[in-house]
Amino acid sequence: MRKAWYAIAFMIIISPLFGIILANMVGYHEPLDVAAEMLHLKDISDKINWTPFYNYTVPGLPDTIGYIISGVIGVTVVYVLGKLVFGGAKE
Amino acid sequence: MHIPDGYLSLPWIIGTYIVTIIYLAIAWKKARAQLTPEKAAAATTLAAAIFAAMMLNWPIPGGTSLHMVGGALAAILFGPWIASWILALVVGTQCFVFHDGGITALGANILNMGIIDVWVGYLVYKAVRKVVPGEKGIVLGAFLGGWLGIAIAGATAGIEIGLSPAFPYGIEITLPVMFTWHLLLGIIEGIITASVVYYLVKKGKWVVA
Repeated sequence: MRKAWYAIAFMIIISPLFGIILANMVGYHEPLDVAAEMLHLKDISDKINWTPFYNYTVPGLPDTIGYIISGVIGVTVVYVLGKLVFGGAKE
Repeated sequence: MHIPDGYLSLPWIIGTYIVTIIYLAIAWKKARAQLTPEKAAAATTLAAAIFAAMMLNWPIPGGTSLHMVGGALAAILFGPWIASWILALVVGTQCFVFHDGGITALGANILNMGIIDVWVGYLVYKAVRKVVPGEKGIVLGAFLGGWLGIAIAGATAGIEIGLSPAFPYGIEITLPVMFTWHLLLGIIEGIITASVVYYLVKKGKWVVA
């Protein structure tokens, strides 16, 4: 299990390379965005936003650092929820 | 793969929420019966790992990218009921904390990644294992499960957004686009799924489904 957590830490540390740097270099478009563009669908996420960590950013921090901190926050939230949900199931 | 707010029409929003909530309620009963303390700890770790893996977008020159989803991997390691809850936790966290995927589309996103990907991946894996025995069957099944799980989940997202807008022929555009791209990019998901499953089997650390 410890090795899995090392892998998680490694993925978070290198994540800006994939999620920010390379994505900016090649232009980031998922197939979903491509299909939606063809239909002229409008993403209204920014108009009804509720979180300070919108799109894996942290206010006041550069995108790369924000992405790493978002990774830590996300993994922590998932871990706590997992403990609550799956931990609550074992009896 | 995460559908944002604004893409789905009201009937699809309501329909996908209802299906997902009913399914998760059933899955919870089934998962509850299967969870041991060891499995609970491992499922929590896999959920955290899938969250981290989803942050790694693989950009493809030409402007397209995809990220790991992990539905098939979770299903092969834990069975589909626990796997659906693993994905639901991840996709829910992405939505509520990072607004990755819309709140109106949360039902659809869990349906695509936590139900369709999970079940397609699982059923393909099981079918291959019946035909191909031993370690080969495990690796080939995991590869095809990971690959086709993504392809079908992508196609489902294409159907959902294609049938949503007022434009009546949307699905004729979105379905081929989503299916073709995910069929292509899903090969990477298949390779990762097979690699992780093979590693765990070789280490003797996990009894796969």
